[in-house]
Amino acid sequence: MAASAIRTEGLSKRYGGLDALKDLDLEVGEGEVVGYLGPNGAGKTTTLRLLLALIQPTAGRAEIFGLDCQRQSVEAHRLLAYVAGEASLWPALTGLETLHLLGRVQGRVDESYRDELIGRFELDPSKKVRAYSKGNRQKVILIAALMTRADLLILDEPTSGLDPLMEQQFRHCIHEARDRGQSVFLSSHIMSEVEALCDRVGILREGKLIEMGTLAEMRHLSSLSVEVTFDGVLPDLSGVPGVSAVHAEGHVVRCQVRGSAEPLLKAIATSGATRVLSREPSLEELFLAQYGRKSEEEMPAAETSGN
Amino acid sequence: METEAALLGVARIGRSPGSVVARLTARKAIRSGILWGYVFGVVVASSAISYVSIYKTQIARDHLEAAFGANHATSALFGPASQLQTVAGFTVFKASMTLMLLGAVWGLLISTRLLRGEEDAGRWEVLLGGQTTRSGATLQTVVGLAGGAATLWAITAIITVVAGLSSKVQISAGPALFLALALVATAVMWLAVGALTSQLAATRRQAAAYAATVLGVSYAVRMVADSGIGPNWLRWASPLGWVEELQPLTSPRPVALLPIVAFTAALSAVAVHLAGTRDLGTSTLPDRANATPHLQLLSGPVAMTMRLIRSTIVGWGVAISLTGLLVGLVAKAAGATISGSSVEQVFSRLGAPGTGTATYLGVSSLIVAVLIAFVAGGQVTAARAEEATGRLDHLLVRPVSRERWFAGRCLVAASGLVACGVLSGVSTWLGAASEHAGLGVDTMLGAGLNAVAPALCLLGIGLFTMGVWPRATSVSTYGVLGWSLLIEIVGGVGALNHWILDTSLFHQMSAAPAVPPNWATGGIMLLIGLGCMAAGAMAFKRRDLTGE
Ligand SMILES: Nc1ncnc2c1ncn2[C@@H]1O[C@H](COP(=O)(O)OP(=O)(O)O)[C@@H](O)[C@H]1O
Ligand SMILES: [Mg+2]
Repeated sequence: MAASAIRTEGLSKRYGGLDALKDLDLEVGEGEVVGYLGPNGAGKTTTLRLLLALIQPTAGRAEIFGLDCQRQSVEAHRLLAYVAGEASLWPALTGLETLHLLGRVQGRVDESYRDELIGRFELDPSKKVRAYSKGNRQKVILIAALMTRADLLILDEPTSGLDPLMEQQFRHCIHEARDRGQSVFLSSHIMSEVEALCDRVGILREGKLIEMGTLAEMRHLSSLSVEVTFDGVLPDLSGVPGVSAVHAEGHVVRCQVRGSAEPLLKAIATSGATRVLSREPSLEELFLAQYGRKSEEEMPAAETSGN
Repeated sequence: METEAALLGVARIGRSPGSVVARLTARKAIRSGILWGYVFGVVVASSAISYVSIYKTQIARDHLEAAFGANHATSALFGPASQLQTVAGFTVFKASMTLMLLGAVWGLLISTRLLRGEEDAGRWEVLLGGQTTRSGATLQTVVGLAGGAATLWAITAIITVVAGLSSKVQISAGPALFLALALVATAVMWLAVGALTSQLAATRRQAAAYAATVLGVSYAVRMVADSGIGPNWLRWASPLGWVEELQPLTSPRPVALLPIVAFTAALSAVAVHLAGTRDLGTSTLPDRANATPHLQLLSGPVAMTMRLIRSTIVGWGVAISLTGLLVGLVAKAAGATISGSSVEQVFSRLGAPGTGTATYLGVSSLIVAVLIAFVAGGQVTAARAEEATGRLDHLLVRPVSRERWFAGRCLVAASGLVACGVLSGVSTWLGAASEHAGLGVDTMLGAGLNAVAPALCLLGIGLFTMGVWPRATSVSTYGVLGWSLLIEIVGGVGALNHWILDTSLFHQMSAAPAVPPNWATGGIMLLIGLGCMAAGAMAFKRRDLTGE
């Protein structure tokens, strides 16, 4: 039986009294592209650092292609490439020197692909790292990971600091990797990025995996934040199908819309709306809309058990 | 937390835009000034108090003066000694050179940190996004640093005045204040040097290295002047010489304050001006931001470590070689003046009994040992910085085991230290041989290697702390180093008991070539160092990687 690219069992990490990650059971199959979504502080980086043995679990275990992440880390690392969230590099080395070093340490590099990536990401490799912007440092780390053509790519918010054009390039590279049969595990706090790339998505919140499934199964989560300005009396939108989290303030009503926007548009069409703004909600807003009530219910229970 | 501080700064700009940088800098500089003020005060007070307790009678004091007064051995190393028959004269002699050097190092480190370091870390971008210009921010930082220097002076002065109140010491307040001023003068000048090099260099490390080079040259010029080789005016060619010319307590010459003030003001003004003429994150001196790639020493973690520390070790190697050469050159002349029971007594307390060239070189080797120990301390903090900045992550997520990286660091650092010892031995021999001092190269090589043992032990202690308690690495390493140094300084006048003396790394070292190297003790220090490194590696393997 082929081992999965990543498998964790009850993986947990505590920092003092804080559960940064609690009982994570996760599996990433070979050749799969899996997104790992969660708001800031959810425990994404903690999970990835556990997989890479940069930190040690308080409980549970993890495997990469059947190799124990902690005890066989060197062997496991031969099969993967990692992009860290914070791109701190050696300031005195140039981009090319950095890539050369990281390639030699990894022990496997597709040099022509490396040069192609340098071109695609429009990186000037002759500059010293200290002269690079944050985005350029991020490019160096991305290229260093992609150029290895590793069997598994583990990426921690890889597009932070990249401009939209480069983000597009990045997505292109991930599609290529998938086509070559590489597995990808990608953390992000941006819904749309994960939607564009991943076969399956896990959603993490306060250290717990609360959802895991295909994008189709996740549809109920995708929604829009809408802000409508009226010049007259505010209509009551709370009964409109698909609309939730309605909040009125002065002439402005804010709400979340799930599924079709048609009922909402119908409802406001006759009420003198002067301005309609819509945007993708932040994950935090989504979670508030989806789970807010639930965690409020949980709280008193937690209090009584604490006493 | 860093961004928090920066944001705090921005928030405060809203309230009083004029002085936010000055106040942020002053807060950090004053905190450091208080700490070092205590160290300065303790050194001054302990010098005075130990003098009155050791040299109780006038006869003993006259003896000391007769022996040391015109003694090139000590004046080359520690500056001129005058009126050693008085508490005042002895205190100035005992405290001056140590505190001058310590003050200069403090000044250059803190000013490059708060100017170039903050800029490198990107915090200035946030501040300058506010309403301050680059020149303005630099000027404010300089003002904040001046606050730190004033604090250093104030604390030193208070402790000196209080010590002077003792009926045996009897130094009145005015002269005590002037003494404190003389002691912090180098600190002030090197704050300005650091401010200037922060503009010239492209990184904080470079800025600190430039400022340290200026210090090294100043020390060397002064050393030649004070050893009686060069012409008399030569002392005026070195900022450290100006401070000596202040002659606090013995025959004060406030006129020597003029070059000190002019130097400080000129350098600060140039620094502020240059800050306005360059872009954030760039240097005034040409920096090769675009460089042709050099791919040697990039094949793996060990080679890479060598490449990273190469320039540091070369810099130290040059400094140590020059020191060795100078010490060697003056050794014969200086050694010939060591005579009389008091000098011999002091030198033998430092572990170098007898008279002559070998005795002089024995005491000098303590200084070399201290330098090499600083190299070791730097290696420890450099290793820790790789981890704390997250750069190490890039290696450890690849097929590199933690043991391999850690062992590589140990090996490369230890080799660098040994190289420093060899350079010191050979260069001292070269200097001494050119004056026909009659010491063999093997003797001097032995003395050089002998001076490496405390550094290797310190390297082990530092890397052990990094393994078990990473965030305390720097504090514990420099704590052990500072403690050892302090004990050696205070112990040199003989006021400490055996148990305390034994806690100093440098006290464990024999003062070769005055006495033959004690390879057994050296070996024990080496073993302790190695044991610590092994234990540190084990602990490092088992713990989480930790940021700042
Ligand atoms: N070294 C640490 N010590 C203490 N708490 C930590 C440490 N690292 C992370 N945490 C905490 O663990 C939680 C998860 O952090 P992280 O994994 O970085 O989140 P994410 O990457 O999803 O933004 C946060 O609450 C964070 O404050
Ligand atoms: Mg993160």
